[in-house]
Amino acid sequence: MAEPFKNTPPAPEHQGEMTAANIAAALAGESQASQKYLAFADVADGEGYPNVARLFRAVAYAESTHARNHLSVLGAIGTTEENLKAALGGETFEIDEMYAAYMAVAKLQENKSAQTTIRYADAAEKDHQAIYDAVGKGVDNKQDCGTDAVHVCPICGHTVIGDAPDECPVCGTAGVYFKEF
Amino acid sequence: MSDTIARDEALEKRLPKPEELNPMTRESLAAAFAGESQAAEKYLVWAEQAEAEGYPNVGKLFRAISFAESRHARNHLRVMGGIKSTAENLLAAFEGESFEVDEMYPAYHEIAKLQGNNQAVRSINYALKSEADHKGQYTGAREAVMAGKDIDDAPVNVCLACGHTIIGDAPEKCPYCGATAELYKTF
Repeated sequence: MAEPFKNTPPAPEHQGEMTAANIAAALAGESQASQKYLAFADVADGEGYPNVARLFRAVAYAESTHARNHLSVLGAIGTTEENLKAALGGETFEIDEMYAAYMAVAKLQENKSAQTTIRYADAAEKDHQAIYDAVGKGVDNKQDCGTDAVHVCPICGHTVIGDAPDECPVCGTAGVYFKEF
Repeated sequence: MSDTIARDEALEKRLPKPEELNPMTRESLAAAFAGESQAAEKYLVWAEQAEAEGYPNVGKLFRAISFAESRHARNHLRVMGGIKSTAENLLAAFEGESFEVDEMYPAYHEIAKLQGNNQAVRSINYALKSEADHKGQYTGAREAVMAGKDIDDAPVNVCLACGHTIIGDAPEKCPYCGATAELYKTF
């Protein structure tokens, strides 16, 4: 039987350690499922299965709603001021620790494609770090950021505020392919 | 737009290719894939929060960066060989949902109940029920694709509160969480 709809995601609560670890693992699982299905949708489109592609995108969205619910229970949806600080911290960890370490291993093991995908990500995280730093300072003073378009390279994720470049400086993709937000 | 990319050979050439990975590098990429996927989801939720607080441009920025993280997730997945033909992808999707329905969420549910964490129980129940929907839908889609056919072009409706997923019209009320039909997103 359906419980009455509260129109709110499941709320933050104080959790047992095991439950908190499980919800964190479930968040990781749902997030990865969502991204896989989005990639699978592109393949289905390419193979001439537009309706399978649509199903994949719908299910990816469903997994996103689960990820959001789990995040809410974990208390990880703060104010925008807090969220920008958390975002800056995450990007900084990826640049200073995670990708630096992974790149060293991929080089040692001479895994070339792995180096490429790590280099693409690391370069874009540096864009994000600078952007979150600047925008966070504005929001600390209750100011929204500017209305400029944000352009993202569909291949490597290079992120620029303002116009797209003629060519992506990280991966060489032509600017016309950038996605505008 | 991402659809265009899949069919654009000039662009596809720029994507990092699948390769034979050493175990430690594979472990690194798997962890990076998990990190990028979670960042993409967080930023989408934080975009909604920014919009609700009256920061529409910060909201837009979070969405743009979420898309960038999603591109990294796809690239890592591709290098690990995790993107295959649609028939294979549907099988992998079915297996992932089955694990969640048969193993992961029932176990997590028991522990959350034991610990009296009611909100966690709610979040787990919403997910568990909709993963069962997905399991069935992926089975049907795989049967069609194995026969070389696409599935029907019926709408797919998803409850924005709990993720209930239905092929066809949205119900008047979500059977899992009670949300009304206008809270469904149509694909």
